[in-house]
Amino acid sequence: MDASPGFLIQDDVPAKGPPRRRLPALAFPLSALVVVAMIVAAIAPGLLAPFDPTDMDGDAILRPPSWPHLLGTDHFGRDILSLVIYGARASLLMGGCAVAVGGLAGGLIGLVAGYAGRTMDMILMRLLDIWMSVPDMLLAIIVAAGLGASFGHTILAVGFVTIPRYARVMRAQTISVCHRPFIEASRSIGTSHARIVVQHVLPHTFATMLVITTLGVGTAILMGAALSFIGLGVIDDRPDWGFLLSQGRSYVTVAWWFATFPGLAITALMIAVNVLGDALRNRLDPRLRS
Amino acid sequence: MRRIGGALFVIAGTVTLVFLILHWLPGDPAALVAGDTATAETIANIRAQLGTDRPLWSQYVAYIAGLLHGDLGTSFATREPVLSRLWAQVPTTMVLTLFSSAVALAAGVALGVVAAVHRDKWQDRTIQFVMLFLTSLPSFFLGILLILVFSVTLRWLPAIGNGSWRQLVLPVVCLGLITSGRLMRMVRSGVLDVLEEPFVMTLRGKGLRERQVLFTHVLRNALIPVVTVLGVLVGELLSGTVVVETLFARQGIGRMLVDALNVKDIPVVQGAVLLASMFFVLINMMVDMSYGWIDRRVRS
Amino acid sequence: MPTRRGFAGMLVAAGLATPAARAQQQQPKRGGELQFGLDGAAVVTFVLDPHNSGFAPHNRVFRSIFDSLVVLRPDQSVGPWLATSWEISPDQRSYTFRLRTDVTFHDGSKFDAAAVKANLDRIHDPHNALVALPDIGPYAGATVLAPDTVRIDLSEPFTPLLRNLSKTTLGIVSPTALQRYGSSIGQNPVGTGPFRFVSLTQGIEIHLARNELYAWAPPTATHTGSAYLDSVVFRNVPEESTRVAALQSRQVHAADGIPPQNIVSLRSDPAFRVLQKELLNNNYTLYLNAARAPWTDPDIRKAVQQSLDIAALVKVIYLGTAPRAWAPLSPSLFASDEKALTNVWKPDPKQAAAVLDAKGWTTGPDGIRVKDSKRLSINFPDTQGNREKRLDVMQLARRQLARNGIELSIESQTAGAYNQKLASNDFDLSGASQFAPDPDVLRRLHLPDGRPETSVSKVDDAEISAWLRQATREPDGETRAELYHRVQRKLVEQAYAFPIYVLLYTIGTTDTVQGLTVDTHGFPEFHGAWLSA
Repeated sequence: MDASPGFLIQDDVPAKGPPRRRLPALAFPLSALVVVAMIVAAIAPGLLAPFDPTDMDGDAILRPPSWPHLLGTDHFGRDILSLVIYGARASLLMGGCAVAVGGLAGGLIGLVAGYAGRTMDMILMRLLDIWMSVPDMLLAIIVAAGLGASFGHTILAVGFVTIPRYARVMRAQTISVCHRPFIEASRSIGTSHARIVVQHVLPHTFATMLVITTLGVGTAILMGAALSFIGLGVIDDRPDWGFLLSQGRSYVTVAWWFATFPGLAITALMIAVNVLGDALRNRLDPRLRS
Repeated sequence: MRRIGGALFVIAGTVTLVFLILHWLPGDPAALVAGDTATAETIANIRAQLGTDRPLWSQYVAYIAGLLHGDLGTSFATREPVLSRLWAQVPTTMVLTLFSSAVALAAGVALGVVAAVHRDKWQDRTIQFVMLFLTSLPSFFLGILLILVFSVTLRWLPAIGNGSWRQLVLPVVCLGLITSGRLMRMVRSGVLDVLEEPFVMTLRGKGLRERQVLFTHVLRNALIPVVTVLGVLVGELLSGTVVVETLFARQGIGRMLVDALNVKDIPVVQGAVLLASMFFVLINMMVDMSYGWIDRRVRS
Repeated sequence: MPTRRGFAGMLVAAGLATPAARAQQQQPKRGGELQFGLDGAAVVTFVLDPHNSGFAPHNRVFRSIFDSLVVLRPDQSVGPWLATSWEISPDQRSYTFRLRTDVTFHDGSKFDAAAVKANLDRIHDPHNALVALPDIGPYAGATVLAPDTVRIDLSEPFTPLLRNLSKTTLGIVSPTALQRYGSSIGQNPVGTGPFRFVSLTQGIEIHLARNELYAWAPPTATHTGSAYLDSVVFRNVPEESTRVAALQSRQVHAADGIPPQNIVSLRSDPAFRVLQKELLNNNYTLYLNAARAPWTDPDIRKAVQQSLDIAALVKVIYLGTAPRAWAPLSPSLFASDEKALTNVWKPDPKQAAAVLDAKGWTTGPDGIRVKDSKRLSINFPDTQGNREKRLDVMQLARRQLARNGIELSIESQTAGAYNQKLASNDFDLSGASQFAPDPDVLRRLHLPDGRPETSVSKVDDAEISAWLRQATREPDGETRAELYHRVQRKLVEQAYAFPIYVLLYTIGTTDTVQGLTVDTHGFPEFHGAWLSA
């Protein structure tokens, strides 16, 4: 299995030539705007939201989008627009932290595998193969079930599942650096491993890892939402898009707005993250090639 | 041969890893099987029946020994042999996965080629946006919308079941569409790459028609990276079946696994994971082998 | 195909005057296959052994395959079924049953006293570790006095026995089949019921076909003789929205577990009907862990109780489709104290706050009360998902409690983890319901002797225990009822138990389904059902 070009996370082979995908002029600024809006919503939701998301208005249950509830209300009488705005925090945290866990742990494993010699590489690669041979959701469910439902545990479960991917990319990048002549030259004059890693390996791999992790944020959010859907998520007062979607699905025939708007919010964030990730990759492309 | 050895090692490793994780999970399977109204004595009896009162290594050895004889153990919950349970569920999941792969491939390749050929024009832009949207959509959200539109409102297609082909349509569309987005981008990239290769210009110079150039030469080369990532995509599809099976009330490995995990029916979980991982490893092995073959064919 | 028939049915329904007129005009038609969308969310796999499942969805299927010795009548008394009459000895330790002689099992073998004995002995055998064991109580053995007479002996009086015998959990299984299939009886059920088992796709569907020889329906049935339907298919659709969608798109003829918001919309749609009937039940009730501080203190428990507004909870969540429960036992159950306990306490957050303050639980900076640096925090583990909207109830409850400085955290987890928490006393609050026809269910919950470790209730109250012990032996009547009234009153007044809602089992059907009934227990009966199109 290690004869193959490796399991690349993203769909492109490294590009040859100028950026493949020139984004339509609007895409980048629009996506940036969406992400900024979501970050604002995550940091200071009170500024944007018309209602307190925990406000339950017993007389306004399951209202369709109308004044003053622009996106309607849910089965408790809570304002959906406010729920969606406050929900940004949980989603962004989930995406960011899960990717941080996966990226850091995976990066470390990949670095060791690529740098520390044949034997270590072989052992670690085998471990990664085993890790990856269990389909994502299945492994995430097993880990989440084992840890028990809490926000932190869901992050760990999602992060755990994505480690092998990041590890492989890091390993591939590390190997490509290590085979450069100037690295061997450095070693021969006695530069310490630590120095080489910090001064040469890390900077070279940084760009790719950044792109990969940015694009991984969306996947992490989706996986977290899927875990909620299965019933292994968290249930607290914290508005969470995935949880809202799983609550709203029972109401889809009588109150389509309940599930639709949180679903669209997840989709919008993912689109924005993907576009930004693409832009990032295009920008950093030339560096990759050199 | 080396490959097969490697594959076996991976499978063995997976089995061990999952065995350990499952026994680390909290809960006493005997208590779960016994239910809420059982007495402590009943539970102890059940524990003896299931064999969960033996030490861990003893259970592990017994399990591996069984595996080598083709015995995957007995379900804690239903007392049926795990193998027969899997046998019943595997075809449905495989059917779902294969058809979804087919849909994803067909849509991804077709749209990817169109997008590449009309690069930067409106076809390209539209297709890219649609695919971006689809890959960003949560699968269960799409599933709910599909049921709402096609089952409840239009009454064209059934919402549940797994007997007829009509019942396959919605789940396959749901799963396949979402995966096709990734494929489309890969194909587009791949085609664009190949279109820039010198040999393409040579072919054009020789007077071959654009269509011929495209299909016989460009596509073959462009599909190589697609093939390599096929294994990963199948893994993703298998993952996706968990959610889709739950939503559309279909039988399948994914749903069986979630249910079994809930009651700590360890043999069933192990069996399901073993099967999934074997399938995944097999696909990847085939991909690896075909990679070399495709490479040689194309170069000639 | 249901779709075309349904459309025709709609036209017919639109044309006729009233439902009553329609019913009178149409005679039951023989034939057809009824597709039933089953809410099997509570069960993970189908194990069709009636003696081995405490889950309601299983039992909804069992009623069609297995008959019982006796039937529960609407007035909660017990009437003849497979047993034609019985005598109870003066010391209440022997029950002698005369049995029908015209009954055969689906596999052709004869139903007789030996079969009854075989069933009961099987349940009694500890090696079988069957869930139905507590239902036969102090069973000491059965004696076959004649092919149609069997005597059941108990080591001490056990009044719940008769009502338990009307349950599907003590349904009669063919001893021949038990011999033949052994441990795989769960995939090969054989009974005497109006439908016989055909096939099973694990977790997905169950096929039953009419038992042509059926002629022993209980007196409460709509007709004697075999069922009208050719077959019934139970399709497991645990996803609420998918199940309702399947009904609305007429992919199934009927579906149960209809959520409140859909009940409302189905009722207003002339193409569909909604059947509701109370499930005889220990209502879904929340129990504070009485064995863990600070819930050992009745004043603290009462403070929690008074911080809750259960009427508001039920109104918002069930939209008027389920009544609020005052007593642990559902209203129709024998000895339910629902009437007497109505309004026996009122939500009084101010009073609760005063009590908590007096006990030293002062409000901390984040609004949650603290005492000796411990937060007044309630941990609620859950494993059932949002079944019957129970988690929605908890979400609302959390808000209500938070207003009084009590913190509630809801933790969703696997059944395995949940059971472990219960067994190790590692929780503060949990909720459960249990379908049961006899008030003896209170004993199983609240009497510490013999109670499993994974019991949701940790109540250990000397008075309640004494009443429960006595009530088990007391013959059915005023005295027995009074004992259970006292138990329920104390459970509620001492804030051991917070009953929440009464479950009305709901079946939604298309207008082509006729004659579908629900028995006194609250389980569907397909014997009298027929399809009009």
